[in-house]
Amino acid sequence: MVREDFRRPGGGATSSQHGHPDGEPGAPGPAAVPGAEEEPDARFTLANERTFLAWNRTALALVVAGLGIVQLLPPFPGVPWGRHALGVPLIVLGAAVSVTAYWEWRRTQTALRRSAPIPQSVLPRILVLTITGVAALSAVVLLVSAVR
Amino acid sequence: MALPEDPEDLSPGTAAERTRLAWERTAIAFGAVGLAMLREEPVAGALVLAATPLIWALGRYVSSAAPPEQRSRRLLLVTVAVTGVAVVAVVAAFVGHGLTRFR
Repeated sequence: MVREDFRRPGGGATSSQHGHPDGEPGAPGPAAVPGAEEEPDARFTLANERTFLAWNRTALALVVAGLGIVQLLPPFPGVPWGRHALGVPLIVLGAAVSVTAYWEWRRTQTALRRSAPIPQSVLPRILVLTITGVAALSAVVLLVSAVR
Repeated sequence: MALPEDPEDLSPGTAAERTRLAWERTAIAFGAVGLAMLREEPVAGALVLAATPLIWALGRYVSSAAPPEQRSRRLLLVTVAVTGVAVVAVVAAFVGHGLTRFR
């Protein structure tokens, strides 16, 4: 196992100095000066990075799901645009998730540096809204296809 | 001896190891997407497959000691790669194999 020095020169920050494990990660620690920036505990930085990577794997899954719908599903009878209407939004959502994940990584990293509260993520909301929309559209496409 | 609430306090190295594994999973995901695309769109699939070793290498050399700007650039590169895959997928959906079925 690779061991790394998790303390920063000058900062010497540990998880407990940033309020963790006694409080929420990123919460102001006892020595935190409001507005001051210092490199956070590397464990928080790494956790933030893993979250970013997890969202990007989700984005890749959305892209491949959208492409699979367009290229692998048989055409819906009477609805020639059906597969594109369902697949392309998923691909676009994949790109949006990736870009938003980077923006949120930066935002969280800034909050960690300032010992400020971690901002709430908008990604779950985007994901829920789009997947619900695509599910509703799937039902419409299937119904139209069945009627024709 | 009382155990700390956070298991990482016992073994802080696991955070770096788990992050490295997360990078490897991301590289494998790129490879899987590339292989999936290869069947219908060989050129696009090959492009995505070519990004796989790049992502793996980015994760391999990530260290908690890396300066913040360098870390930010690495993650930006991942975002650009995933967005690029999405653009290739949209093009493949309309111009590639998908268009012939669309007509």
